[in-house]
Amino acid sequence: MNIRAPKDFWSGLMFIAFAAVAMLAARGYSLGGAGKMGPGYFPMLLGGVLALIGAILVGRSFVIDGERVGRLHLFPLCVIAFGVCLFGVLLEPLGLVIALIVVVLVSALASRESRPVEAGVLALALAAFSVGVFVYALRLPLPVWPALLS
Amino acid sequence: MDVFANLTIGFGVALTAQNLLYCFTGVFLGTLVGVLPGIGPVTTVAMLLPISFTLPPVSAMIMLAGIYYGAQYGGSTTAILVNIPGEASSVVTTIDGHQMARQGRAGPALGIAAIGSFFAGCVATLLICVAAPPLAAIALNFGPAEYFSLMVCGLIAAVVLARGSVVKAIGMVVLGLLLGLVGNDINSGVRRFTFGARGLADGIEFVALSMAIYGIAEVAYNLEKKAGQADVMSRIGRVWPAWADIRHCIPSILRGTALGTLLGVLPGGGALLAAFGAYTLEKKVARHPRTFGHGDIRGVAAPESANNAGAQTSFIPMLTLGIPSNPTMAMMIGAMMIHGISPGPRVMTDRPELFWGIIASMWIGNLMLVVLNLPLVGMWVKLLRIPYRLLFPAIIGFCCIGAFAVNGNASDVLVMAFFAIFGYLCLKLDCEPAPLILGFVLGPLMEENLRRTLLISRGDPMVFVEEPISLGFLIVSALLLVVVAAPAIRRKREEALQE
Repeated sequence: MNIRAPKDFWSGLMFIAFAAVAMLAARGYSLGGAGKMGPGYFPMLLGGVLALIGAILVGRSFVIDGERVGRLHLFPLCVIAFGVCLFGVLLEPLGLVIALIVVVLVSALASRESRPVEAGVLALALAAFSVGVFVYALRLPLPVWPALLS
Repeated sequence: MDVFANLTIGFGVALTAQNLLYCFTGVFLGTLVGVLPGIGPVTTVAMLLPISFTLPPVSAMIMLAGIYYGAQYGGSTTAILVNIPGEASSVVTTIDGHQMARQGRAGPALGIAAIGSFFAGCVATLLICVAAPPLAAIALNFGPAEYFSLMVCGLIAAVVLARGSVVKAIGMVVLGLLLGLVGNDINSGVRRFTFGARGLADGIEFVALSMAIYGIAEVAYNLEKKAGQADVMSRIGRVWPAWADIRHCIPSILRGTALGTLLGVLPGGGALLAAFGAYTLEKKVARHPRTFGHGDIRGVAAPESANNAGAQTSFIPMLTLGIPSNPTMAMMIGAMMIHGISPGPRVMTDRPELFWGIIASMWIGNLMLVVLNLPLVGMWVKLLRIPYRLLFPAIIGFCCIGAFAVNGNASDVLVMAFFAIFGYLCLKLDCEPAPLILGFVLGPLMEENLRRTLLISRGDPMVFVEEPISLGFLIVSALLLVVVAAPAIRRKREEALQE
């Protein structure tokens, strides 16, 4: 047995994985009956359907030909996701200015074309712009400076 | 008669200095961001959502609608000048539009796109005025069974009209529905799928999810493409097309508008199908079809009119039924919910100023687009030259700010990081994210309506086929699935959508 449609195969597995998580978690919620649905009823139903769709995709991938999965470029993705997480962690203690500069600098690392000086200028410009627009003009409730200072 | 009274209310709202300013800001920012290479309309709307948080609801919706048309037009500009379509529905524009630009006729191409879009926008806005009230009146009588079946039908149609594998798209819809259920269950108070995380108690934040997929995952995906030097056509020439050109295009604009208004109402690829359909139609009716593909101005006028008409009429199901027909409309619904308005047929009766204000502002927004774009083209061309390495960190920064600002909750930012990775995998596996977003928005509503229907029928699922309207929706859904599964039609669909 060869996998002939890798994209379908992996999509199917992904759906099955999500379905499994959903159905395992939904076991803890009472099902109820069709006439009086509990919180577990609809998730269980959806989980079943999703698992079925996943199974169809996986099964089909052995029979019909399909595209291969392109190479995953995990480095840029992980760098960016890491930068985003840093923003989430740093914003409340250190404020918008520092968190934004950090996320811009870190995510700039994701591209080989980035240049250090340029990225630095960009980070400063974006921080100034964001404080001006989001905090002062639009009055979004964002901490600007580190919590210790204020 | 009523239409005029309603439009008077609408223009009364839309023409206040404040709302005109927001409409203008929306159109301007939408075009500005939409023109930037690698940023399509959905990403633009997602990124600019946060600036509407603090506005009053009417102004916020007016501005977002403006952002949407602006972004659409910006996408056409990049299609013509750089041969990069901002989104799928402007793919067709690249065919003749970019050829025109290569022949030094970029100006007239941009001009006719603006004129065609404006005309199409006017017609589509009128259609909304006429069609929306009766539709909403019908929808007001829908019970939970009808609603449930309508949502099934809408989701299936969205899947069938989208690109790529139907099975995968249905999987994405179901996954979206599941993700929509995360958080407190309103009926039992049970916290579902939060896995102990307090930040998930109110569910996955829609803004974080959509920014993750359309902002951050897109960036990661774009970064791996070869950054070839974009071939920007900087010779624009006179933007206002010669009268002969306009006259030549009038029939195409009319046909494109007609097709676009009709197809735009359909869920899913309404605007996309409209643009492709209009182009094919023009080629069929033209006396010398050979000029198409070599810079025929009609090949720009027709699809641009069609896609703008479609973009406009896609508001009909959103405003009257509360059902999004594409990801942008899902974002509009998300924005309405942030402002505490639950979309659906009641909006028109309960908040007429909001409803008619948005519609009136559509027309004003379209007018602004023309006025704004014809003289500002030179500036947009300069923006086209901004390299992606400077854009993408900014996109990520704005997404972070947006995700935090919705609820002032840092955990939403972490949720966004998680779904960015998920979104990237989906893009790699050719799983279209649009159905996921639609499912996500409709998840809780579907559960609620299913629950109510079965509560009334004491658990008997036959009620869905016993109610005539509900049965009708289910038959349409089944037909759509059968039709798309039929091999002959499937081949046609693939040809039409993948060209």
